[in-house]
Amino acid sequence: MTRPQTRALLRALRLLLAASPRAFLRGAVLAVLVLSFGAALLGLSGWFITATGIAGLAGVGIAFDTFRPAAGIRFLALGRTAARYGERVLTHDATLRALAALRVDLLRRLTRGDARTLARMRGETALTRMTSDVDALDALVLRLLLPAVAALVTYALTGLLLAAIAGQTVAIVVTLGTLPLAVLLLWRLARRGAAPSERAEARLQDLRRGLIDARRDRAALVLAGRLPDRTHSLCTTETQARGAARDVDRAERGAAFGFAVLTHAVTAAALLTGAWLVQTGMLDPARAAIAIFVALALAEPWPPLRRGLAELGRARAAAGRLMTDPAPPTPAAGRQADSTAPLVQIDREGLELTLAPGEAAALTGPSGVGKTRLLMALAGLAVTESQGLRIAGLPPEDWNDTDLRDILTLVPQRSALLQGSIRDNLALALPAPPAPDLSDDARFWAVLDTVALGDTLRARDGLETLLGESGSGLSGGETRRLALARAILRRPRILLLDEPTEGLDPATAENVMTDLRRALPETAILAALHRGDRHAIFAKRIELSL
Amino acid sequence: MARSSTRPDARLLAPVQGLLRRASALSVLAGLLWPVQAAAIATAIAGWIDGAGLKTSLLAAAVFLAAGVIRAGLDHLAGAWLFDAADRVVADHRQRLLARALIAPGPESSAETAALAVQKLPMLTPWVTRYQVAMARVMVLPLVLIALTAWLSWAAALVLLVAAPLIPVFMALVGMAAEEASRRQLDEIGTINGMLMDRVSAMLDIRLLGASDRAITDFASRAEALRQRTMAVLRVAFLSSTVLELFAALGVAMVAVYVGFSLLGVLRFGAWGTPLTVWQGIFVLLLAPDVFQPLRDLAAAWHDRAAGRAVAEELEAAEAAPRVPLIGDGGTALPLAGPLSVVLQGAAADLPGRTLALPDLTLAAGEALALTGPSGAGKSTLLAVLAGLTPLASGRLEVCRQALDPDTADGWRGRLAMLPQRVHFGDTTLRAFLDPLDSGADPGPALALARADGIVARLPDGLDTRLGETGGGVSGGEARRLMMARAVVMGRELLLADEPTADLDPETAALITSALLDLKARGMTLVVATHDPALAAAMDRVVEVAP
Repeated sequence: MTRPQTRALLRALRLLLAASPRAFLRGAVLAVLVLSFGAALLGLSGWFITATGIAGLAGVGIAFDTFRPAAGIRFLALGRTAARYGERVLTHDATLRALAALRVDLLRRLTRGDARTLARMRGETALTRMTSDVDALDALVLRLLLPAVAALVTYALTGLLLAAIAGQTVAIVVTLGTLPLAVLLLWRLARRGAAPSERAEARLQDLRRGLIDARRDRAALVLAGRLPDRTHSLCTTETQARGAARDVDRAERGAAFGFAVLTHAVTAAALLTGAWLVQTGMLDPARAAIAIFVALALAEPWPPLRRGLAELGRARAAAGRLMTDPAPPTPAAGRQADSTAPLVQIDREGLELTLAPGEAAALTGPSGVGKTRLLMALAGLAVTESQGLRIAGLPPEDWNDTDLRDILTLVPQRSALLQGSIRDNLALALPAPPAPDLSDDARFWAVLDTVALGDTLRARDGLETLLGESGSGLSGGETRRLALARAILRRPRILLLDEPTEGLDPATAENVMTDLRRALPETAILAALHRGDRHAIFAKRIELSL
Repeated sequence: MARSSTRPDARLLAPVQGLLRRASALSVLAGLLWPVQAAAIATAIAGWIDGAGLKTSLLAAAVFLAAGVIRAGLDHLAGAWLFDAADRVVADHRQRLLARALIAPGPESSAETAALAVQKLPMLTPWVTRYQVAMARVMVLPLVLIALTAWLSWAAALVLLVAAPLIPVFMALVGMAAEEASRRQLDEIGTINGMLMDRVSAMLDIRLLGASDRAITDFASRAEALRQRTMAVLRVAFLSSTVLELFAALGVAMVAVYVGFSLLGVLRFGAWGTPLTVWQGIFVLLLAPDVFQPLRDLAAAWHDRAAGRAVAEELEAAEAAPRVPLIGDGGTALPLAGPLSVVLQGAAADLPGRTLALPDLTLAAGEALALTGPSGAGKSTLLAVLAGLTPLASGRLEVCRQALDPDTADGWRGRLAMLPQRVHFGDTTLRAFLDPLDSGADPGPALALARADGIVARLPDGLDTRLGETGGGVSGGEARRLMMARAVVMGRELLLADEPTADLDPETAALITSALLDLKARGMTLVVATHDPALAAAMDRVVEVAP
């Protein structure tokens, strides 16, 4: 319920709209046509029957022009059907475009995150929460934006038509009698639903995390004698989640009741207004009947809006989490790098190192001492921990991100691969997305051979070997080598490696390190290692201690 | 009633059948009020033509509004009952799922269980609240309205009778393609979310490779291709609802035109003897759209039914899956009395779908035992059996001179602790982790004993640090030392350790070994499954676990 959340929601709405203003507009136009044709069909039919009834009673039935009303009724019936089909196709198209735009925007903002943010995003809880939030925003177009626009425009159009055909009084009763109260009902629904819909989602996420935690922690819970307690607390969360869902349902059903009463009351009012106008001779009965039929038909635009508004609180909270920047933007073009300075320089108390092109150093120390954090800081992904570090003479945070990536690559300890082919995964390392190039294949095979993966892959489907979700399909050691191959493709001037030989048997580790050096003779290499640090390529060694 | 059908969805709904039937009756009743409202409107308009005066209109408006409010009230009440029914179904299954997932976990992963409980179970709600009631309305309302129409004009009734039943036929034809299509649409949205998660997980690598722009462009073009494929499918899928719309619209239009021509006297057939009156004409016209409305509601509920059935089937499958029940209930009990001892004889562990023979074993208080043997031989299973986490298929397990059974298991576990290979931290502070029973003991000495005091000193908030999902900020070796400290804080006498030195650098492994020996020196009984020859040698005895 906070202002930043509302601002984030508006940002999300703008983004969803901007994804395809034309598809959205066409969908909205057709939605209005569907509703208007529906009202016009009932109105015209009502008029036709009343008017023919009067003519029949007066005995002038033969003179009555039946052709145009009958054609109009057929046209509206067919037109409404066609418009409905078009509307469904176009609005789903607009939604799918919006869905993609939302995700692209999210990815783009995530690319600016630092190591800590990105590591946090990897967790299962963070990922499922993100999916759920994105889904909540997806629904905004179909459940809120389109129906709201369609309802308002339809009311305006129908009001004008009614005024032209049956007079201002009737038009005012039907449109102005409905609109203010309808908006009030919707506003009240959004308010009543806001807190519980947000709470329902929060409790469900708690339940998910709690259940996964408890399952993984089961043995410890049993040994501590806490299993019944934990089960009980999960059940309590579950009850709270359903309680919140019940509150949302109650608000929504209350609104449905309100709308039913409102549309019936407006129809009754239209009936009485018509009666009075007929009685005083200001309107003929056939035109007065139109008002009743149109008022009945105008109950149609409201139900689709209800769900969207009842869940507005959830959408707003989701926008608050998703649509805010995870990290400050990277600094603009930094100062010039110093071409005479060493490529890598570490100057901290008890830890000093300079690396020139072609030099390699091993970084050792017990686990937990901060080797990974030091590498991340050198790569400019841990801005708060970069004191005493220089990359080509500049502190990492002063580098423009693109320039730094051009000269420096880090292979993290847990590399993530993408679902797709080996080729897709390697192509990520190529400078720009060019047209497929035959020479790429040769380069891909060269680096795969460097990391001793070539033979493994040749025995499978080569570069087209498919990896599953999160790159499953390769063993731990193979994953690490593929990540290493990707880094070699970048031909960086500085290569940082976090435990590159873990999961490799000693002979393979030996070969991979030697071939790596041969493939990148001019690169400065710094590798965090707790095994194999005595390898020949590392002329320098530094040790981090507690 | 529950037995009459063997389908999972019928069994699922059996407990709330009564509520559903009452709600359906209420909803049908609300639908039956529409002819009353239609009659009121017809009376008013016919009155205008006959010059009946304002009083008739006033009465008609009052009847129309009153019936409308009663209808809204009935629908509101029916909605409340339907929600109750859905809530009860979800509550029953979710609470059962939660309890079962912890007391007797099956083969499904914790993420799968969580997805079933959190994401899929709520999909039952639209099915329970919409499908059955829509079905009840379809069985009653169109027939009643057509009968009322037939009473006044057989020709108008014939139009409706032809249009309405044809709808299901055409829908079935188009719908066969459509059901497949809508499932594909759901899959596609699942695919785009999967693609997003894949890239978010890999974002650190993508950034480090300087490939952000490339990855985003690639994602956008895949999403675009997905959109085009999905739209091709949806264009066909939406045809089925268009057929429905078409028949509904044409049905109403034909009734309107027929009635108009009859009133003019152009058409002289279709009514019973006397020509149609204005009142009858308007009444018949107003009934026509509501003949089709229940059919449209049912069509909309069709997808809910498919989704609901899928969840029902998954629930039954989860119910039928092989499970390993816990011995005892995992709660607190008075620790078993007497000196600590274990005797395992001729035993085989009861694992899902198979049994695993275990070596004979005796253990007395203060002893330190190493379990060795190749990976997969059953060392971890043996530890789980000793802790009463895995039941025996055959053989004898005696602890503290009593058989390990549901009555003694919780008391036995009150005397032991386990050190798993991968320590999992819940979302609590380190202080609460070390002292889960909230005894208020000072964890300082225990931390020192487990060589874990340095770890706490390094953490930003010390004992108040929250370790979170993956034990953020604590390495694997550190987590194991914290777990040992926890066993000491809790005053446990037997420690079952699973590969405590695996995957660690030599320095950290040495720290753990010396901490274990200190625990032993302080009187702790140890059972250590290990590949590490140095660690095995430091124990009193070695038991070989053969595959």
